[in-house]
Amino acid sequence: MTTATAPVAPAAPARPRRVALPGPARLLRLELRRNIMPWLLPLLAVLFWFVTYRPAMANPPFWNVRSAIVQSHTMLAFAPLLAGAAAWAGSRDRRRGVADLVDMTALPRWAGQLAAWAATTCWAEAIYLAGVAVLYVVTAHQGAWGGPLWWPVAVGAAFVAASCALGFTAGSLLPSRFTAPVAAFVMFLALAGCAFALQANVTYAQIWPLNVQGALPSDSYGIFYPYLPDLPITQLMFLAGLAAAALGGLGLPTAAGGRWLRRAAAAVTAAGLAAAGTGVVLAGTARLEAHGIVVPALHDAASGRPTPYTPVCSHTAVPICLQPAYRALLPDVTAALGPVLSQVADLPGMPARVTQVAVTSVHAEPSNGIGFGGPVISGHPPVLYLPLAGLTLPGEGNTPATQFIAGLRQQDGPSILSVLVGLPGQIPAQSGLGGINSIPNPRHFAQVAVVDGMVRVLGLGQPGPLSTPIQHGTSSGEQQVLAAAQRFAALPAATRHAWLVTHLAALRADRISVSEIP
Amino acid sequence: MNVEITDLTRRFGRTQAVASVDLDLGPGVFGLLGPNGAGKTSLLRMLATVIPPSSGTLRLLGRDPGSYPQRRQIRRRLGYLPQDLGYYPGFTVAEFVEYFALLKEMPPNRVPAAVATAVERTGLGDKARAKLRTLSGGMLRRAGIAQAIVNEPELLLLDEPTAGLDPEQRVTFRALLRDLGQRATVVVSTHLVEDVGAACSQVALMNQGKIVFCGTPEELTARAEGTDAAGDAPLERGYSAVLAAARTGTEAQS
Repeated sequence: MTTATAPVAPAAPARPRRVALPGPARLLRLELRRNIMPWLLPLLAVLFWFVTYRPAMANPPFWNVRSAIVQSHTMLAFAPLLAGAAAWAGSRDRRRGVADLVDMTALPRWAGQLAAWAATTCWAEAIYLAGVAVLYVVTAHQGAWGGPLWWPVAVGAAFVAASCALGFTAGSLLPSRFTAPVAAFVMFLALAGCAFALQANVTYAQIWPLNVQGALPSDSYGIFYPYLPDLPITQLMFLAGLAAAALGGLGLPTAAGGRWLRRAAAAVTAAGLAAAGTGVVLAGTARLEAHGIVVPALHDAASGRPTPYTPVCSHTAVPICLQPAYRALLPDVTAALGPVLSQVADLPGMPARVTQVAVTSVHAEPSNGIGFGGPVISGHPPVLYLPLAGLTLPGEGNTPATQFIAGLRQQDGPSILSVLVGLPGQIPAQSGLGGINSIPNPRHFAQVAVVDGMVRVLGLGQPGPLSTPIQHGTSSGEQQVLAAAQRFAALPAATRHAWLVTHLAALRADRISVSEIP
Repeated sequence: MNVEITDLTRRFGRTQAVASVDLDLGPGVFGLLGPNGAGKTSLLRMLATVIPPSSGTLRLLGRDPGSYPQRRQIRRRLGYLPQDLGYYPGFTVAEFVEYFALLKEMPPNRVPAAVATAVERTGLGDKARAKLRTLSGGMLRRAGIAQAIVNEPELLLLDEPTAGLDPEQRVTFRALLRDLGQRATVVVSTHLVEDVGAACSQVALMNQGKIVFCGTPEELTARAEGTDAAGDAPLERGYSAVLAAARTGTEAQS
């Protein structure tokens, strides 16, 4: 130590800089440099790789699929860790015995704590956004159609900030070396509880950011129609509210600052709680529609307009046209539907083109399931409108293309044939491989027998009438249908085709009996 | 006067840590002596605006620390080294000092030079880039002193500042204290009477929350005359004599 009072040559690390940063910026820089979060970056990077990047890359390059994984998977992995790390940072002053020193400084305690929280959050956001950037750049290089979706990224970023705020406040108000693991565990429990609540169809649980667009399949949102921001907006309100309430709570203790500052903190807390509560209430009004989750109070009718696109089509006898996001699937879809379409080509009323469409309707099914409308033939000339919902796409979960082709053929082949012969009512697309599971009326037995015979010819899996007892038929009805189907399948292809050309109109009009089938 | 204390009392539950203390302090080095539990640290924490008094009047640097805006003004011109100095192990010495300079709301453009000066004055110039976790106890103490003096305080409160310092460092530190005391009020709470003798122009002795002596070190030494007080040095004997008298008085009162 020296008693010299004359100016001393500055030590190397504290050399004056040309541009002096303002005080808060210098404080933030210090906190950034000495934050706990950089120590966790490798772990967070590994988690991102395993929990988000790899599952995302195992899916086809659709922006909606990739961004949904970013939002839900990343948060599941990051949130507990971030809450724990932030709690550790928040409890630093008390754990380190620096509280007296810090409490007697001029800067309001709240401001100092906000700087520490901001530094923690900056690091967390940096690793999260870096991961998202890598994933999005790779997705763009894979030729994903359309543009990146930013709403899921924004929700994820808000969840990062909220996790840090909640953890930091817990650490600050309940300082202990055990606060960090407890905060991480509580956050994990909250996420698990949310997952269970979502499974149990609790409407309010949709507010949790693990939920992206409900249980809708990937081609239901963000491809044919704009990504609906209704739910993300409520989630952002909720998360921003939580973060504000938590950070406001830091400013409530007497040591945090003066009266006016504590009043401001109380106002921030109240506003945060109000925003979070409003988000929850709005989420409670959300309903699942065909193109995403709609919150009536926030819904913009303009977002219901289809996204314009130029389809990509196969050069086959019956062209198959897909939304360009599915360009890579065109060969597989053509391979799947080609044999079915060739059997029915040039029959009266047969589709001149197959066009992929979005899911047109959703209906709830037991066990949190959702049903979607199947293929429809309509228009002049007839067009087969085909949704690809409910199918596991090639690459998704390591699904090979052959499995997708077989699945599509077995799912939609019988449906197309049913539409062809005029079987009334929709046959659900997910009704099982090749299964026609219910026969509405005995007067449609002839149509069922023809479809069943064609299914046998095309090898589309287990024929329908054998899988389920006939509901309204006579005891001999099932045998009659089975016999007719077997007869029809045994016909030479040309004979079968000629009979269909001649009798298809009568078959559709229910004027053919089972016994009349050759 | 930089410190004006009238009938100051601080209670922790049923325990009265500081009892009806009156004190006026101007620039200079002021020693606060007393046995363990005498109330020195509680008095210092009140002076540091860490805890409020239970009753009495306290004015620091001409301001009332009970008012938050004035308390902030006081804190900008205050330096404090607590008895148990906590620290952030991952910070370097310079960062630690800079951190507190910023918390004391020093003008940002003055911070780098002030940090460098404080670090040099405490003899840690060559350790400025060392992490605090790598420092010895004495060096940590000096880092604590550096953060306390970084804002060139008008009121500097040091609780056991020489604990952990080796004899050479202690001598240098006393010189630093004398230098600081030329412009500021420096209150040093210590067990080591030789520190007081070497650096303090005034000294107070506390016992059971009360100030039982206030005067110069020479006056304290004189209190030993004519007594058989124990101690190796004259000041120690004065300390023992005052303390023994205070205890006798207390017993007589009870």
